[in-house]
Amino acid sequence: MDLLNYLAIGFSVAFQPINLFFCFMGVFIGTLIGVLPGIGPVGAMSLLLPTTFKATPEAAIIMLAGIYYGAMYGGSTTSILVNIPGEAASVVTCLDGYQMARNGRAGPALGIAAFGSFIAGTLSILGLMLLAPPLSRFALQFGPPEYFTLMVLGLSVLIYLAHGSMPKALLMAAFGIVLGLIGLDSINARPRLTFERLELMDGIGLVPIVMGLFGISEVLLNIEQAIRREVFKTKIKGLLPTAKDWRDSKGALARGSLLGFFLGILPGGGAVISSFISYAIEKRVSRHPERFGKGAIEGVAGPEAANNAATGGAFIPLMTLGIPPNVVMAMLLGAFMIHGVQPGPLMIKQNPGLFWGVIASMYIGNIMLLILNLPLIGMWVQVLKVPYKILFPLILLFCLIGVYSVSNAVFDIYIMIIFGILGYLMKKFDYEGAPLVLAFVLGPLLENNLRKSLIMSQGDFSIFFTRPLAAVSLIIALFLLVSPIIPWMGRKRREIPKE
Amino acid sequence: MKSKDLISSLFWMALGAGVCYGGIDLELGTLHDPGSGFMFFWLGIIMVGLSFSIGLRAMRAKAGKEGLKEIWAHGQWRKIISVLLALSLYAYSFNFLGFILGTVFLLLFLFKSVEPQRWSVAVLGAILSTLTAYLVFQKWLGTQLPKGFLDLG
Repeated sequence: MDLLNYLAIGFSVAFQPINLFFCFMGVFIGTLIGVLPGIGPVGAMSLLLPTTFKATPEAAIIMLAGIYYGAMYGGSTTSILVNIPGEAASVVTCLDGYQMARNGRAGPALGIAAFGSFIAGTLSILGLMLLAPPLSRFALQFGPPEYFTLMVLGLSVLIYLAHGSMPKALLMAAFGIVLGLIGLDSINARPRLTFERLELMDGIGLVPIVMGLFGISEVLLNIEQAIRREVFKTKIKGLLPTAKDWRDSKGALARGSLLGFFLGILPGGGAVISSFISYAIEKRVSRHPERFGKGAIEGVAGPEAANNAATGGAFIPLMTLGIPPNVVMAMLLGAFMIHGVQPGPLMIKQNPGLFWGVIASMYIGNIMLLILNLPLIGMWVQVLKVPYKILFPLILLFCLIGVYSVSNAVFDIYIMIIFGILGYLMKKFDYEGAPLVLAFVLGPLLENNLRKSLIMSQGDFSIFFTRPLAAVSLIIALFLLVSPIIPWMGRKRREIPKE
Repeated sequence: MKSKDLISSLFWMALGAGVCYGGIDLELGTLHDPGSGFMFFWLGIIMVGLSFSIGLRAMRAKAGKEGLKEIWAHGQWRKIISVLLALSLYAYSFNFLGFILGTVFLLLFLFKSVEPQRWSVAVLGAILSTLTAYLVFQKWLGTQLPKGFLDLG
């Protein structure tokens, strides 16, 4: 009963005209950046963060969340029609989606991607609604050692799942923490690695780093490679999947939703991993695995359901523990902080309107996305035809204004350019940006909780092994980090990207 | 030998050593009461150790496609440098030229130099994009964009 009452509060917040407007803006922009290659949800969220400064926290988070799950919808359009994923979570949709389009079935492919996203998105919101409140009550018992070890676990999973070399991912995480600690020491207010620059006293901003690593560097790579996009020339008809399509897809949709939701909760998991694993599972359980890669509708339904369900799951650790499980959620944590809200166990109690309002807005946003992505598909196809040579100066312009408007400081533009160069070189030298950004956000929390734990235990490290949850988290983290040395674990890790 | 891994490992090793030194400079404190440099010192040690292992692995690896030449094989570095120079110059002159003038110049350069457009497209694109951005950010969202020496905006 309580749940329904809270949901009613949520809908009363979400249905306020201003929140409906921000929700629409979020899902619209999300779909747009999902369709356009070269800027992902992280870049778009940091770009649009300044536009929420005048809004209420509810409206701001509703819009930023909308960008995240909207991008998952939009990403499938480019995968199916152009064979270029709009963002990373839609890479696997290219395999069968584009083949379906080539076979004259672009309509059903787009249809099942949109319906699958809607079904999975709605199921994951239901899961979020049911799991978050009890988990936040449980999290009230956590102390600094539990928080410290949970964050170490989150970073370890992200490092374990990194595409390339684990030492490189670990190195990026260590560098990210260093960057996160620049500025005044939170305990004794001593300036650290500020090089006597006043601008660094408050630390480096998240937005310039993200815009540099994910916005500027992406533009530099794209102008180097000269993107050529050819939209598949076919009349898109019959967006509603047939009864046979539904029969073929229903298992994939259910499995993808469940898998995506639970992988989304896990730190370091998220939309990209879940879409790949879903595809691998569908291929394995199928009676006709030979159809995969040639236009099997399950190969579109499963991954699309998984990547959308993962977005709902990812909100759980952020909203209940205050720990972002992936880079997008790290960005959202930054937005919460800017708006004076501390996500964590007390958030649901202290800000019920915000928590339930965001959840209710996701239901509304999913319906908006279904309308945006099916009847209006022609509009997105037109957007796809905008050449990159017109697009990239505009992306750069928005990066520049976005960064400047956060703090009105030219210094932040320089920081963004430096991280743009660093991000470009990191991609050239096979280093990943995601562990760096997540570690940058978690760095200050990590240090604070480590120092508090050591003060609590009078310098005794056994505090991390005598408290059950801390011990379990730390053991799993250590196991993941040493796994490349264990032969079968190392093999398993190398198999993930291949699958 | 994977030369690109070797070079990158040397860079990170030097950076890690710098972080380590910074940590010592800030005071490490004790385990009972960790100081401001405690985390920096240990993170620096971890960075040096990891870059050493990357470098060691690179030296043991056989020469393959991962050489430095492959990285720059696309040969478009002139475009990259011109974009970066334009952005840096834009930032440097931002307060002096102001948002409107600086942005029109920047966009004009980007439209014309990297993937050359017709003059009409470049000029119209630069002016319209600048004005739209100005209206959205300055007028609607209230961002304080610099007016520059001409006091535009």
